[in-house]
Amino acid sequence: MRVIVAGGGVVGAQIARALVASDHQVIVIENESARAAILKAEGLEIVTGNASVATSLEAAGALRADVLVACTERDSENLVISVMAKRHLEIPRVVARINDDANRWLFDGSWGVDAAISSAGALVALVEQTGN
Amino acid sequence: MHVVIVGCGRSGAALAARLDSEGEAVHVIDVDGATRARLPVSFRGGFVAGDAMRRAVLEEAHIAQADAFVSLSSSDSLNIVAARVARDTFRVPHVLGRLHNVEWHPISAHLGLQMVTTVQMTVDRIHLLLQHRPLDPEMVFGNGESLLVRSSVPDYLAGRRVAEFNVEGEIQVVEIGRGGHSTIPGTAATLREGDLVSFVVSSGSLERLRNFLGGSWKQ
Repeated sequence: MRVIVAGGGVVGAQIARALVASDHQVIVIENESARAAILKAEGLEIVTGNASVATSLEAAGALRADVLVACTERDSENLVISVMAKRHLEIPRVVARINDDANRWLFDGSWGVDAAISSAGALVALVEQTGN
Repeated sequence: MHVVIVGCGRSGAALAARLDSEGEAVHVIDVDGATRARLPVSFRGGFVAGDAMRRAVLEEAHIAQADAFVSLSSSDSLNIVAARVARDTFRVPHVLGRLHNVEWHPISAHLGLQMVTTVQMTVDRIHLLLQHRPLDPEMVFGNGESLLVRSSVPDYLAGRRVAEFNVEGEIQVVEIGRGGHSTIPGTAATLREGDLVSFVVSSGSLERLRNFLGGSWKQ
């Protein structure tokens, strides 16, 4: 699959590495040039820019991407990136990271989000599974 | 009118203070409770310390009863999200927001949000003032695309009809001040020497209007 990872922080970089390891074609969009340089040195494919801007997404090959992962450290950015990816660029599948579980109510189809996950939410689900 | 303002920075606090002094019911939301100190002591409105993306925070600011919502936080993406939530989830009839970075403008426009882009506005305004000193706009609309300018009628234009000044989509006479009284003229009205005329003009046609008034019609 062709995957765009929007946000090259700790989480974004790990997602990118894991996807590359399973033979997916991955491009990371990262706004901070210092971070972008580190990821580039590591061998990841990087576009430096604001991921909610059409030009950055287009540079990352959004028009032929199968999936976009919105995983910056800001929930509002993840929402704007998701709606841009889905509505404007018609990327078939958009998955998003929720940083603060209190914002979960916003991560739905109206923002172009097909699936969203927060680390807190995932851990809670695991705890509840154990209880059953 | 009940107005909810997100962001109690310089702009948010100043807007809140002004609306409050005009008798409007204002609620300000800021994630940093210390920003409340920016509001004047006389401020009678509400202040909610919290994240404007949280439903409970928005509800505490009585967003469901709001007539207007203005998002002026320092984060452009938050302003877009908050504005859209106010409009689509809480059906606030009048929603505005601010963007610092013009890069966010296409997506906010795509979502149909009315956002003021501060950098663009500053540049347009300064550019205008640099370029067109003699005919200072009294008022600027949008991001400077349309302007309200006022000029007295020079003697050589006395007797011209309003219709002769109007250029569709570019220049429109909207008001005439004469002897201390103001009227909204029909196109057949005639201008007299000394009249103070208000024009709405597109920024690209300001030069043309200036030429009209500056003597290119002189015979």
